[in-house]
Amino acid sequence: MSDAHEASRDHPILQVTGIGVTYPPATTALADVSFEVHPGELVAVVGPNGAGKSTLFKAISGLVPHHGSVELCGNHCHHQRDRLGAAYIPQRNDLDADFPITVGQLVLAGRRRFLRLGQRPSQRHRQAAINALERVGLADLRQRPLSTLSGGQMQRAFLARALAQEAHLILLDEALSGVDQPRTEALLDLFGDLAHSGTSLLVATHDLSLARRRFSRCLAINRHLVADGPPEQALGPATIEATFGNPTTSNHAA
Amino acid sequence: MIDWFTDPYQTQFMRHAAVTALLIGVLAPTIGVWVVLRRLAYLGDAMSHGTLAGVAGAYLTGISITIGALAAGVTMGLLIALFDRQRRLGHDSAIGVAETLMFATGIVLISRNDRIGVDLTHFLLGQIVTTSTHDIIVNSALTAVALGIVAFTFSDLRNVTFDAGHARQVGIPVGALRVVLIVLISITVVVSLGTVGLLMSVAMLVTPAAAARLVTNRIETMTAVAVAIGVVSSLGGLTASYHLATPPGPTIALVTVACFAAATIATLPRRRTVP
Repeated sequence: MSDAHEASRDHPILQVTGIGVTYPPATTALADVSFEVHPGELVAVVGPNGAGKSTLFKAISGLVPHHGSVELCGNHCHHQRDRLGAAYIPQRNDLDADFPITVGQLVLAGRRRFLRLGQRPSQRHRQAAINALERVGLADLRQRPLSTLSGGQMQRAFLARALAQEAHLILLDEALSGVDQPRTEALLDLFGDLAHSGTSLLVATHDLSLARRRFSRCLAINRHLVADGPPEQALGPATIEATFGNPTTSNHAA
Repeated sequence: MIDWFTDPYQTQFMRHAAVTALLIGVLAPTIGVWVVLRRLAYLGDAMSHGTLAGVAGAYLTGISITIGALAAGVTMGLLIALFDRQRRLGHDSAIGVAETLMFATGIVLISRNDRIGVDLTHFLLGQIVTTSTHDIIVNSALTAVALGIVAFTFSDLRNVTFDAGHARQVGIPVGALRVVLIVLISITVVVSLGTVGLLMSVAMLVTPAAAARLVTNRIETMTAVAVAIGVVSSLGGLTASYHLATPPGPTIALVTVACFAAATIATLPRRRTVP
């Protein structure tokens, strides 16, 4: 790895400081969360339902109003255009799974950040979309309707959209839910490959054993940041109880 | 058999009617594709009713009916956006309240003038055979503008409709496109005024697009199929109404429903096998 590459890894790709989200009239979804993510980091975000994992990702992406600050690639995010380097992939339940869009059209949507209103994507943009599809192993499926893909293939398609967007930071919300074990492992291998090439990934998951096994860093969240560190530290018994509550009185713990 | 299709169009007023039917047969399903994909059928229905206030107001004040109807559509969109700010209310409730306000206002305005009451029944139920050359020019211009807007924003409309969050992230003006869609629905209702009428305009807006959605999984194909159904329904319904001596607007609407029924039956076995 070059010195320049090493040096760039010293600067955080994402710096979140005191971020908080309150939904009207006065529901605190997230309070005073601070952390940073460096280039090439693969981070699991764990927490029970309603802990604020999706809200955190939406706040970083500028999709919900928040207080606190978000810095992306060293720049303060004052406007939506400052966050073009981040790609949020929502939970599948948040989207119409039967929507008539092809895999190629979905991935090409990632190139929209480089186009003006009404401008058609050029051959260069189409090639970038194809390259992104090749990188996730879906090049042969670009004409297929998205609705015909399996859960794992669909996540790969959304990853390709993020790659076409040239995102430095990818936020995946419950990306592994509903994906069978072999395809989950294959997806995690892909996450690892992307991280190795310098892209940072935050992956929200309920699966604590997976987080322990396949991630080098975990953020435990329950409306505030409970723990941040390697799995053995962030997912220890005391932290799990602080994050998920007592398993005998709560059904969140896994 | 061919005579059955050509006989009605020996007179100029029926040829005018055919051109008008063709315009709405192309425009309404094109806009309807986005109404159906965004699950806004109720908005389309409410917009058609709410436009009555603008039409009645235009009659009372002497301004252009087209301008009055478009103004009512935009006002309705703003009212819905205003009521939507109440987070405890669903979007359908906001639409319902705005529709009630605009439709009731239209009825009250009608009650202020007997002459308006007679003329407005034409707009409620459509009066396609009284279409003038001026109406055709105005409707053609409105249709061209609306189709141009759809063509210009097509891929953005697709991205916003599928994943509004990502669309906002990559710089697509999500809020502006929502306003654009409301304006497009308003234009469609205006063009519908003289054909199927306000009360039946939702039939042309929703039914061909809904039928097309059943038979295709691509938006481009869905648009083409919806337009084909719209044109067949409007011209077929107009021809049938001539021979059957039935009102053209409701007859056209019934033909669209027949197309929807055919699409439903044709795709029933296939959709049963889809998990």
